[in-house]
Amino acid sequence: MAAAKKGRFDFVRPLLYGRDVDRAMKARARIGLVIAAFALIYAVIGGRLVLLAMTSDAQIARRIATADNVATARPDILDRRGEILATDVRTPSLFAEPRRIIDVDEAVELLTATLPDLDAAELRERLSSKKGFVWLKREITPKQQQDIHRLGLPGIGFLTENKRVYPNGPEVSHVLGHVNIDNQGIAGIEKWLDSSGLADLHLAGFASDRQQKPIELALDLRVQHALRDELIAGREKYKATAAAGIVADVRTGEIIAMVSIPDYDPNDPRQALDKTRINRLTTGVFEMGSTFKALTLAMALDSGKVTLGSSFDARMPLRYGKFTIHDYHAQKRVLTVPEIFTYSSNIGTARMALQIGVQGHQAFLKKLGQLDRLRTELPESAEPLVPRHWGELNTVTIAFGHGLSVAPLQAVMGISALVNGGKLIPPTFLKRTQEEADALATRVIKPETSDKMRYLMRLNAEVGSAKKADVPGFYVGGKTGTSEKVVGGRYSKTKLLTSFTAILPADQPRYLVLIMLDEPQPLPETHGYATSGWNAAPVAANVITRVALPLGIEPRFDVLPSAQQILQATSSIR
Amino acid sequence: MRLLNILVIAALVTAAAYVYKIKFEATVQAEHLAKLRDEIRRERDAIAALRAEWAKLDNPARIQGIAKRHLALKPAEAAQYDKLDGLPERPPQLVTPDIEDPIGAIIEKFDEAPAATGSVATEAR
Repeated sequence: MAAAKKGRFDFVRPLLYGRDVDRAMKARARIGLVIAAFALIYAVIGGRLVLLAMTSDAQIARRIATADNVATARPDILDRRGEILATDVRTPSLFAEPRRIIDVDEAVELLTATLPDLDAAELRERLSSKKGFVWLKREITPKQQQDIHRLGLPGIGFLTENKRVYPNGPEVSHVLGHVNIDNQGIAGIEKWLDSSGLADLHLAGFASDRQQKPIELALDLRVQHALRDELIAGREKYKATAAAGIVADVRTGEIIAMVSIPDYDPNDPRQALDKTRINRLTTGVFEMGSTFKALTLAMALDSGKVTLGSSFDARMPLRYGKFTIHDYHAQKRVLTVPEIFTYSSNIGTARMALQIGVQGHQAFLKKLGQLDRLRTELPESAEPLVPRHWGELNTVTIAFGHGLSVAPLQAVMGISALVNGGKLIPPTFLKRTQEEADALATRVIKPETSDKMRYLMRLNAEVGSAKKADVPGFYVGGKTGTSEKVVGGRYSKTKLLTSFTAILPADQPRYLVLIMLDEPQPLPETHGYATSGWNAAPVAANVITRVALPLGIEPRFDVLPSAQQILQATSSIR
Repeated sequence: MRLLNILVIAALVTAAAYVYKIKFEATVQAEHLAKLRDEIRRERDAIAALRAEWAKLDNPARIQGIAKRHLALKPAEAAQYDKLDGLPERPPQLVTPDIEDPIGAIIEKFDEAPAATGSVATEAR
């Protein structure tokens, strides 16, 4: 000790032990040392007490929390009116600690008796392993939990886990997507949730609480149901292989409803593996047919080179190289621009596109987002099929919707921009206000051109191919589209893809309804036709009849303006 | 000096007892808190389960099926809607509400009314 205490404490030693120091002083110094030592000990004890008092509370809470948070807690998903689309419920899961099991045979026998769907051989193997922890069965019912608890087996226990449930079943499948057994999103909005921070949150240990802010979708469950119901009925009636539909708000880009039949039940994600159940609206690309004529006409009118009074020669089929472009409803005369739209003249639109030229055509479609992959919240998206060498022939065919395949959602975005006053707004599945939409919007065509497009769409519902979709009171406008499917490298005359795009009300569009039918069959009541006006348009009419009132569109019967009046309202009549 | 020592010892014992009491109460409170939290969590889980159940029962497809089976209602049509402005004028009231015998009042009104057709009407009465 004497050797160790050199240096800084040199002055202490003579004070405590030195011979030449006063005894009284020495005694006081020794007492002081004792006091200091005790004070230090008490300080340590006190400090430890404070620490204990502070942590014990948190520890108890943590013990409770860790006991039942194996799977991620996910925020609820609500529709735009607050209806629950997806939520978490707690379900018990069965686990075992093989090292603590005394009699494996007895355990296997009793467990398989209670849970008949457990595989006995696999169970035996799991219980005989040397692992500390094995899952036996995830998500059992409270009744089963009770029964197993009564068996009184050692080494068998339960953990409550969060299980995702979708109360509406298949009604909202493709938009929501689904989760895996560990409650991680693997498709749709659920996956988007994970990629936008939930996964990180869970890793950090914060996502254990139910108190997460719910996600509000733009979807309206009532509209979604009506759309799905009518699509199923339509698919059955026209014996189509598939049907799909979208209801979108043209002013904000919100998707109010999106259905692709056949769909699946997100509560049973295995169904989603079936190839026929893909979401045709975002992961499929299609030649949209005459629907694309709306884009071509808007381009021509917006360029100023073509006016509503212009006319184009549609007397003869248009010959281009070895190809000949025919009209489906051939009029064999010179057609004005509105006539080209209402008769859906391929020749007329092709000539119009040629007048704008390949460069202009390409630039316009690019501007409208038809040539690039459309990214939304949904992780599933498809790249449009754009011709590698875009020549005049491509412009001719793309003008009437052949030779360019886009995702239908993309077409919805483009057509919305044509009728909402000329603003391209990226579609969203989340709730969005008008201000947010305006901030995202880019002007792609002049407002006057948009007025003319509304006029053409309305005219088409009054005198053209969209007559069957003219639901009285809602002033519907629309464009039909029928494209022949490519079978074995050739266009098939019998396998059609029909689509119908409706806007309502046509003078001040608020909603766009797109209906698509894959390979609809001609029926006696459609007089043997299988084109869009005979199947997709009536389905759209049914949908509009059911959803327009819930969407808050006031029916108008008095002073109903005819198509002409849309034009008179604008200053730019020519 | 001795008095001071006794005082200090007494203070020490009191302080120790007091700290022990506080510590004990804190533990009780902490346990109570944890229990309450657990209960709240349980209640929330129960609420979530009930809400899920409600959403399932409230599903439009289900309601539609039940309505089709049990009700004679049909989907509303556009023609069934009108604005408030579209309502016709209220018909003029024949009876003033403060009369005790409204039917008698109507008959009286007809009685009092002078017969416009003269003698024929008077005879008829």
